[in-house]
Amino acid sequence: MALLKRNSRAGTWRSCRHAAVLLLTLAAAGQQARAQSSLEYEVKAAYLVKFAPFIEWPDTAFSSTGAPLTICVVGPDPFGQLLDRAAAGARDGDRPVIIRRLAEPDAACQILFVGGDDRAVESELEAVKDRPVVTVTDSGASAHGIISFAVISNHVRFDIDEAEADSVSIHISSKLLDLAHVVRKGARP
Amino acid sequence: MSRSVLLAAASLLALASPVRAQQLALNDINQMSIQQLAKVEITSVSKGAEPLSDAPASVYVISHDDAIRSGATSLPDLLRLAPNLEVMQTSPSNYVITARGFNGNAADQNFSDKLLVLIDGRSVYSPLYSGVYWDMQDVPPENIERIEVISGPAGTLWGANAVNGVINIVTRKAADTQGGYLDLGVGDEESSAALQYGGHLSDDLAYRVYAKDFYQRAFDSSPGVSAHDGWSKPQGGFRMDWTPENDTVTLEGDLYGGAEASLGTPNQVIGGGNITASWQHALEENSNLQLLTYYDETQRSMENGGAFVLNTYDFEIQHNFSLGGWNNIVWGAGERADQYRITDRLSTASSLLFIPPARSLNLADIFAQDRIPVTDRVELTLGLKLEDDPYSGWSPMPDARLAWKITDKDLVWAAVSRAIRSPTPFDVDVSEKLGSTTFLTGNANFLPEEVTAYEAGYRGQFSSALSFSLSLFDNVYDHLKSIQLNSTPASLLEWGNTIEGHVYGLESWATYQALDWWRLSAGFNLQHENFIFTPGAIPLLDVSQEGDDPHHQASLRSSMDLIDNLTFDADFRDVGALPDPKVPEYVEANARLAWHVTDRLDLSLSGFNLLHGHHVEYLPGDEIRRNFFLETRWRF
Repeated sequence: MALLKRNSRAGTWRSCRHAAVLLLTLAAAGQQARAQSSLEYEVKAAYLVKFAPFIEWPDTAFSSTGAPLTICVVGPDPFGQLLDRAAAGARDGDRPVIIRRLAEPDAACQILFVGGDDRAVESELEAVKDRPVVTVTDSGASAHGIISFAVISNHVRFDIDEAEADSVSIHISSKLLDLAHVVRKGARP
Repeated sequence: MSRSVLLAAASLLALASPVRAQQLALNDINQMSIQQLAKVEITSVSKGAEPLSDAPASVYVISHDDAIRSGATSLPDLLRLAPNLEVMQTSPSNYVITARGFNGNAADQNFSDKLLVLIDGRSVYSPLYSGVYWDMQDVPPENIERIEVISGPAGTLWGANAVNGVINIVTRKAADTQGGYLDLGVGDEESSAALQYGGHLSDDLAYRVYAKDFYQRAFDSSPGVSAHDGWSKPQGGFRMDWTPENDTVTLEGDLYGGAEASLGTPNQVIGGGNITASWQHALEENSNLQLLTYYDETQRSMENGGAFVLNTYDFEIQHNFSLGGWNNIVWGAGERADQYRITDRLSTASSLLFIPPARSLNLADIFAQDRIPVTDRVELTLGLKLEDDPYSGWSPMPDARLAWKITDKDLVWAAVSRAIRSPTPFDVDVSEKLGSTTFLTGNANFLPEEVTAYEAGYRGQFSSALSFSLSLFDNVYDHLKSIQLNSTPASLLEWGNTIEGHVYGLESWATYQALDWWRLSAGFNLQHENFIFTPGAIPLLDVSQEGDDPHHQASLRSSMDLIDNLTFDADFRDVGALPDPKVPEYVEANARLAWHVTDRLDLSLSGFNLLHGHHVEYLPGDEIRRNFFLETRWRF
């Protein structure tokens, strides 16, 4: 046995290894985990910033004429840096766009993304119900804000509750309504 | 030389003020119109729409940006970005790439053969031996959307040969590569040119066509001595996407040819082409139907004999839907025919034959997977695939995974799964001769190599700046390929399945956004391989024939957006010593400085393997030199 092993090692095997080179040339010479969802949230973050030009708030929504347009995130933040990047340098008319992350909903926000589980979303929506704040809810949430994201066949779309917007004197441009997947109609003038 | 580059980099760093650097690396999404946003596809087209952040598996994703900023010019070099892969270069054209060990042992004719590699759903591992001819795979970095690297068995969902991992390369949609693009590069090892144009034929029909070529000069077989293995490979291709309301139809194809010189063995000519058609139809919310079909032809030949031609025809169907509001089901089936003809390599000294020289291999599979929420935060995934392999018949590949979202930012997962590498012509039909003596033959009773993997992992987003992933694995292997004495007089030796063992270890990585303009990424993996001959086997050679893998790998990457229009990227990698054949541990570094001159023009200077004049990554393999590459990208 030992002899055979030595033989095969030293003799035949060396030749084998030569043949192997031949074969080599023929045979083998031949989120980071977040990245995927981050694409989804990158798109959602871009939407959040790009909604603003299509929306008219009543003057009472801002503390002053030059006050920034404030996009707030309340509850768990799915965006991280993505939202800050999307908003970097963005302006809505004369207003700079800023991002705030809040523990509690706040009427100083013009756009409010509400995250978290269904119960939290409902109570947070309730907290700003009569304020001129465009509430935005995530896809999959059972409670819906004025704008609610929906993921439809791998694309991020959004629904708009125009009636709810009307009730707080927020006017949403017909261009945005056209882009929405579903619109809950408001009273037309 | 490297010192001066580092010095230059350091002085640039000193100049960089911590002002919010503009997103130089063109953050495409943020520049899109609101109409375009609605057209962005957000999940991998395959296998159900689950965000990878929730996937109970060891998954790393290389983004388009990472790919460009690495400066890498070839697909294998791009894959070095994934901390859960081992990438070893052996010549300008050849690489050994694996996950979780088994990089093979070339001298013992054991080749790395346990990965599934997909380019837009087209499988590119060779059915002749289950390994990948990396010199035949190319996607221009500009056209890469992302690369998903899954380590561990993923055979249930992804397809055959996903024993130790899957590399899923997704190319960018034609709509995302519009306009003209010219890329010219020159360096001390390589010169290259690529030209591309993308346009719209109508609102919902976009296309691109590209052509590229490169020449890479020979490496050294020992310092200062050329290995005479330079090569070049012109390639062209196209992609068309038609996107009416509820459908996505994609047609894409590539054509290439190449010539590789080599020292001591004949020069080789490679060539091939492929065409892939896929149709995705949205049935309703959360329900999709997908059809994929492709034809792929590959050819290799050596100047003085020895060649093969392989034609692959593949058809796959997949349907995902939710059932009863709480089951997320994906099921599908596929059929692949591989027709090949091998021209034997015959010579008086040594010959390589396949008996029979031509076959048509049929591979069929059917699979189903259900994701079931157990509670609000716990999800169970059960899957089963049945695969009908050409040589070994039907095999079951079950897979069970549990994911627990402790909070929205912490995920713990565990999985048990089984996968196989099925026998190939190289295992069964091969016959090797030295002179007139047949010394090695394939084995008609060769068994599938099997793995049962036990895995667990954690993924967390500690803050908006810091994310972390850790995966632990214990893979138990049976019937691993080995050389054994032939029991019949047909030859001295034959392939057998007399090695078993387990490989355990960890894979980890983290990303830290230190400052607005500075991101750090680190990766570390450890693995321990433990192989033994099965009881009763007569050991021949030793268990080192399975692989020559490093015990550890570590990497650190820094990505900086410097002043205004400059980015600076640098990465370091430390690869542990290879035991047999011995290759010493090495540490190497790459760096790239890019200047976004205008929206149309980018200039970059990359340096590769900056720390040493030359190093070896695998044996047999060449000395890889330090080199520099200057690249201009012009959009028009």
